[in-house]
Amino acid sequence: MRMRKIVAAAFVAALAVAATSATGASGGSAANTLTVWLQVDAQSGWPDVVAAANAQFKAANPGWDVDVQYQTWGTHLQKFDATLAAGNTPDVIEMGNTEMTKYMAAGAFQDLTAEKSSFPNSATWLEGLAASGRYGGKVYGVPYYAGSRVVTYRADLFRQAGVKIPTSLNEFIAGARKLGTKNSAKSFSPVYIAGTDWYVAMSFVYDYGGKIAITSKGKWLGTLDRPKALAGLAAYKRFFNASSRASKTTDETRPNPYDVYAQGNAASMIGPGWFSCCVGDYKGQTAQFVMPSHTKGQPIPGFLGGSDLAVPLGGDKDLAAAWIGAFTDNTSMTALRAKGNIPNTTSLLGSSVNERAARRSWFVPTAKNWVNVENGNILRTMLSRILTNKMTVKQAAEVASDNITFTLNQR
Amino acid sequence: MSTRVPDSTDVAAEALSPGSRRRRSLSWARVWRASAPYWLILPVVAVMAAVLGYPLYKLVTLSFQQYGLPELIQRRGVWVGLDNYRSVLGDEVFWDTLFRTVVFTVANVGLTIVLGTLIALLLVRVSTVVRVLLTGGLVLVWAMPVVVAVQVWYWMTNFQNGVLNYILTQLQVGDFFQHDWYATTFSKLSMVTLLIVWGAIPFVTITVYAGLAHVPRELVEAAEIDGAGPVRVFRDVTFPVLKPILLILISLSIIWDFGVFAQPYLLIGASHVDTSNYLMGVYVFIEGYAQSDFGRGAAISLLMLVMVASLSVLYIRQMVRAEDVR
Repeated sequence: MRMRKIVAAAFVAALAVAATSATGASGGSAANTLTVWLQVDAQSGWPDVVAAANAQFKAANPGWDVDVQYQTWGTHLQKFDATLAAGNTPDVIEMGNTEMTKYMAAGAFQDLTAEKSSFPNSATWLEGLAASGRYGGKVYGVPYYAGSRVVTYRADLFRQAGVKIPTSLNEFIAGARKLGTKNSAKSFSPVYIAGTDWYVAMSFVYDYGGKIAITSKGKWLGTLDRPKALAGLAAYKRFFNASSRASKTTDETRPNPYDVYAQGNAASMIGPGWFSCCVGDYKGQTAQFVMPSHTKGQPIPGFLGGSDLAVPLGGDKDLAAAWIGAFTDNTSMTALRAKGNIPNTTSLLGSSVNERAARRSWFVPTAKNWVNVENGNILRTMLSRILTNKMTVKQAAEVASDNITFTLNQR
Repeated sequence: MSTRVPDSTDVAAEALSPGSRRRRSLSWARVWRASAPYWLILPVVAVMAAVLGYPLYKLVTLSFQQYGLPELIQRRGVWVGLDNYRSVLGDEVFWDTLFRTVVFTVANVGLTIVLGTLIALLLVRVSTVVRVLLTGGLVLVWAMPVVVAVQVWYWMTNFQNGVLNYILTQLQVGDFFQHDWYATTFSKLSMVTLLIVWGAIPFVTITVYAGLAHVPRELVEAAEIDGAGPVRVFRDVTFPVLKPILLILISLSIIWDFGVFAQPYLLIGASHVDTSNYLMGVYVFIEGYAQSDFGRGAAISLLMLVMVASLSVLYIRQMVRAEDVR
C-alpha cells in the first residue's frame, strides 16, 4: 500500500515536470525571417509594391524570408509597446509622422544616421517628412510617402447637376446644394465628410489663419479658442451642414468614405488621394480636384500626413535597412505616386492633384505628447459637440484648448 | 506488515517500547504519508503562484514606480512611492468615471439577474419542446465570442444601414431614419448595457433553473392551496431556496460588469471613448496603456480591485445578515 502511494506521487511529479518542459520547448519561428509592420493602407492600396520589394530583398539575401504583418492605425502603437516590453519587436515598422516624436524621445529606434547615404534619394528627401524622422540631430526614420487631402468626385453627377469644379468654398457650398436637389435621397451626401474627421476640420481652421497650439515661453498653449480658429470651426460647421449626411459623431473609418461612395450614396468625398482605389463600379466616372480655400483661387491647406519607416531596438539593422532601401527605391516611389500618393523625394514630384494640393499644407504641433492628444480624442469630441449643438463653437473650443494645453505639457 | 494506518494508541505504545530504531523508521513513514497530499497539490500551487501571484506582485510594485515609455524600453522604473495614487485620487476624471461605473454596474447587474430569473421561471413552466429550443438559443448566445457579438450589434444599430432603425421606422414607432444610437453618452452606454445583459442572461438563467429544481413541490402546492398568489409563492417559497445561488451570481456579475472592457471599447469605438463616457475598464486601458503611463495604470487597477472587493463584501454581509435574522 505504501509502495503504491509512493509510485502515485512520483508519477504525478513526473507529469508536472513533463508538462512544464513541454510548454517551454515551443517551436521557435524561423531565425531567417524579417518581420515588417506596415499599415493596412498598403494592403488595400499598393500590395504589388510590397510584393515587388519582398521579391527584390529575397533575391539579394538568399535564405531570408519576409513576413509582412498589416496593422491598423488605432491599435498598432499598443501592440508595438507590448513588443518593446517583451523584446520581440519587428525589424521594420511603419510609423505615422505624428507618432514619431514620442517614440524617438523614448529611445525606441535604432540610429540610422550612418546608413542614411545608402537609402535611395536620401539627398532629395521631402523636408516635411524627413524632419519627422530626425531627433537630437540623428536620423531614426526613413520617409516613406506623404499624402494631402483632395476631393474625389463623380464627374457624371457633377455634370448632371451642372456643377463646375469650384474655386472657392462658397462656390463649393452652392454646388453641393445643387447636387442635393438633383439627388434627393435622404442618405445621399453631396460631399461625404465624417462628422469628427478632424483632418478636414482643422484644414478650415488653418485656412482662416488659426492654429491648434503654439509654444510660448517653453510651454505649449492650445489656441483653438482664439478668434481666427473659431472662424474656421464655424466655417466647417456651415460646410458640413450644407453638404454631408454622415453621422455627426462618427469618424472617418466607420464607415470608410470610399465604401459610402462605392454604394452610390455620395457625389464626392474628401480624403487622401488613394481613396480612388476603392470606388467600386464608379471607377470610370471618378476624378479628383483640389479642395478650394475660402479665398478664391487658392487651395485649402491640406493635412500633410505621411509615414516613416523605422528600425526598432532589437531588430536586425543591416537587413532592415536593406529592405527599406528596396521598398523606397525609384521603382516603388513611381508606383506609389501612380496610386495617388506623394513620393518621398522632390526629384519625382510632378503636378498631380495630390501634389498641387500639398502646396499649402499644415501639420500637427511637433510635441512629444501629441500622440496622447490624438489617443484622447480631444479634437473629435470637440467636433462632435459642435455639430450636434451640445455646446456652442466657443465653449467646445475652449474645453478642447484647455485639454490640449494640459496634455501637451504633461511629463 | 500491517496495512492499517497507525492511530494514537499505537503511537503511544511504540513510544513506550524499548525498540528505538523501530520507532524512528515508523515516524519517518508517518511523516511521508502525512505529507503526500501536499506533494500532490504542489504542481497546481506552483502554477497558480506563477500565473496569478507573480503578475499581482509585479502590478503592486509597478504602481509605486514612475514607468512610462522610456522606462519600458530600458526595463527599469523609478521609485516614486505614493505619487501615482495621489495623482489618480486627485483626478476629477477618476471620480466621474467611478460614479458612472457604479451606476452602470447596478443597472447591468439588476437587469441581468431580474431578466435571467424570470426566464428561468418561464423555463420551468413551458413544454419540453419549447424548453429545449429556449435552452438551445441561450447556449448559442453564451457561446458567441464577444468581439463577434459587438460587430453584429454594431451593424444592427448602424446609423445608415442598420436593421434596428429600419424595423422601428417600418413599425411606425417613430421616425428612426438615420437615428444615431451613439450620439449621447446615455445612448452609447445603453447600447453597451443591452449588449452585456444579452450576453450575461444565459449563465444566470441556466444556473437559476438548476437551482429551481431544489424547490420542494409540496410546499409550492400547499402555498397555492392556501390561496397564495404567484408573487407570494415566489417571495416565501422559491426565493429563500434560490438565495445562495443568487448571492453567488450577483457577486460574480458585479465583478464582471464593474471591470468590463471589450464591449464598451469596441462598440463605442476607439475613436469615441473619451472622458465623458469612460467606464473603469476603458479608463484604466486609456490612461495606463494608450497614454503609456504604466505606473499610473497599475495604481488605477489596484484601486479598482479594492473597490470591487468592498462592493462585494458589503453586499454579501448584507445578504448573510438578513439570512441570520430570518
